[in-house]
Amino acid sequence: MLEYQNLFTRVQVRTVPEPGLPIDESTGGRLGTGAFSALAGKFGDAQIGPIYLGWSGILSLIFGFIAFEIVGLNMWASVGWDPVEFIRQLPWLALEPPPPQYGLRIPPLKQGGWYLLAGFFLTMSIFLWWIRVYRRARALKMGTHLPWAFASAIFLYLTFFLQPLLVGSWSEMVPFGLFPHLDWTSAFSIRYGNLYYNPFHALSIVFLYGSAVLFAMHGATILATARMGGEREIEQITDRGTAAERSMLFWRWTMGFNANMESFHRWAWWFAVLTTFTGGIGILLTGTVVDNWYLWGVKHGIVSPYPAQNVLTPEQQQLLRGRYQGTPPDTFPSYQQAPAVMTDSMAAMPLDSLASDSTAVDSTAAPSAPSPAAATAPIAAPVKAPAPAPAKPPVPPAGGTTR
Amino acid sequence: MITMRQLVRFGAPLALVTLGACGDRVVENVQVGYRGTAMEQNYQRGDLKAKFQQVKIPATLPPAGASPPGPLPWRNVQVLNDISVAEFNRTMIAMSTWVAGTGNCAYCHNVAAFWSDTLPNGKPIYTKIVARRMLQMTRNINGNYTQHVKNTGVTCYTCHMGKPLPNGLWFYSSQTDYLRHYLDRDGARVISTSVSPSNANRSSVKQTEWTYALMISQSKSLGVNCTYCHNSRQFSSWTQAPPARATAYHGILMLRDVNQNYLAPLQPVYPSVRLGHMGDAPKAQCVTCHNGAYKPLYGAQMAKDYPAMWGRADWNGKPFPGLGMPMDSAAATAAPAAPAPAAGPAPTIKSSSSSKAAPMGTVGGTN
Repeated sequence: MLEYQNLFTRVQVRTVPEPGLPIDESTGGRLGTGAFSALAGKFGDAQIGPIYLGWSGILSLIFGFIAFEIVGLNMWASVGWDPVEFIRQLPWLALEPPPPQYGLRIPPLKQGGWYLLAGFFLTMSIFLWWIRVYRRARALKMGTHLPWAFASAIFLYLTFFLQPLLVGSWSEMVPFGLFPHLDWTSAFSIRYGNLYYNPFHALSIVFLYGSAVLFAMHGATILATARMGGEREIEQITDRGTAAERSMLFWRWTMGFNANMESFHRWAWWFAVLTTFTGGIGILLTGTVVDNWYLWGVKHGIVSPYPAQNVLTPEQQQLLRGRYQGTPPDTFPSYQQAPAVMTDSMAAMPLDSLASDSTAVDSTAAPSAPSPAAATAPIAAPVKAPAPAPAKPPVPPAGGTTR
Repeated sequence: MITMRQLVRFGAPLALVTLGACGDRVVENVQVGYRGTAMEQNYQRGDLKAKFQQVKIPATLPPAGASPPGPLPWRNVQVLNDISVAEFNRTMIAMSTWVAGTGNCAYCHNVAAFWSDTLPNGKPIYTKIVARRMLQMTRNINGNYTQHVKNTGVTCYTCHMGKPLPNGLWFYSSQTDYLRHYLDRDGARVISTSVSPSNANRSSVKQTEWTYALMISQSKSLGVNCTYCHNSRQFSSWTQAPPARATAYHGILMLRDVNQNYLAPLQPVYPSVRLGHMGDAPKAQCVTCHNGAYKPLYGAQMAKDYPAMWGRADWNGKPFPGLGMPMDSAAATAAPAAPAPAAGPAPTIKSSSSSKAAPMGTVGGTN
């Protein structure tokens, strides 16, 4: 018995697969009878299945698949349905939330409507999976620690929906995409004056890193006492043996205090749960209660002062702020007509002769087609705002690079 | 506070001992701010060396000889009418090297009639019209934007580097939205100046990402980290930022002037092959001149040898011998005469705010 339960053994047992407890299968049954995998046995239990999905699991997978498809197809559409570009640019592709001008109104599908739909289905999928986790825990007569820990993570996920609701704009939500959601993270921190000074952000990091440390301490302790049966934690909790005594003694010797076989798991659970819970509180306070965490830190004395690098008078600073100082609210990319007045002789040039490349070798033999844009634009006309972006990203014009 | 020199002096031997095997791949950290604040620049010596060697500076042409006094003997000289005949010819040769290949006069001129703005077949030579405007732009930059170009100045070669089309020209597209900050859009500032939310700043996170894209493009254009210009613990703070930020800010103002008043309005002049797919003229951004270097051409001093690039009577207080600059012709150029920094170095950020007011005024797009 001891042999095959130990992580270090290479023995794998083959017998009739264990079907598990009898449960109420009125809302869905177990799929399959179970099989064995030697590879799985090297990492965990060799038995795979049977799998229980139930109605919540099936619906969760369907909703998750719909969300996945909406995101993926929108990304693919954004490169003009080009499969090569889709693969090549995949890390940078995104399904973006609606632009700021929609506030909390329902935008057209192409202007973030798909994003809201994907978000809805993904959230439903997660909720249904939570129900599944809760019901499986109950079905096995377990405590509900797992679903509530999962709920803490879902809370953090939901704050990325609730915070935009509180500040009144869908556009604040996190884009779906690999790099885009990381860029959002940077931008969110920069916009709100550096999240580093958000104490709940700090707490979340404490619990996150703390979780890693606790995990390492626990894993190491159990492995180190495996030869005494330390990995049989439940037995060690109810009937403390030498493995538990030695591991607790070890921590008392090294740091004067020890958790016990049972309480250690409460430490780990709370650290994990508080990581996402405090993080979520930090998000909810951002933009709603505090708009600049750095200045909040200055106000509360947690920002270390050090010498200024730029010796500027207040007047010079004002001057450098320039016209931003008076930037009115709601001016995301405000367009201003550029005064474009040429002062020299070119204004007198006949328009129809301007559209061909006079330096081209055969320009006299075959005059190039006049550009409609150049031919119709009146001289000294203000620069036109560009037309709405085409579905296919434009090919970079020759000689010009932008990224 | 450890200076950069001390850091290199004590750090370099240590780096050699520990990382010597890595050779030129060693990343050097140079402290640029207060200790312990991670205000530092990362340089890869090998990269920097390779990039530096790629920069080719054309040899300075010998100084122009004596010229007969009096006005230029040619027709249709609209910008360079304040320099001598010899200097004029020297400048033309230099410009051909800088832009079109040495001696390639035909790139811009009707070689049968150099004064003409049209080819023998009557078609306008758009390159000549653009070149004329670019000369006015160069003089404007050298005259009014010393806050940015300092006493190095710019010539055609700074951007063109021997090619007709400079690097990094941009056109309207969904991919270049953030670059319109260099043309006509505002709102790069997204961080609040108060602790609590208020209607004074309703910038969105999307707007922040736009600013982020703009800033990363500047960082790549100059080959520097964020901390070259910012203290990243509060990007908006001027007092905590390195002084380079003020220089960069004047660069943005300069680019707006350049794009609004020089490059974008040339749209009707260009043939369609030179236009973007939305029919807009090519526009400049930081990388156009900087080409990945924190100083274009790593600070090579070219402008000082070419008075035609200045549009003023002196360079850093050093008058150019034999340069006559009639005041009436100065008015004909688009570049308004600089408020005569007659002597002394170019005004710095500390010297006076009045000299700074000139470039500020041009940005509003009201001139």
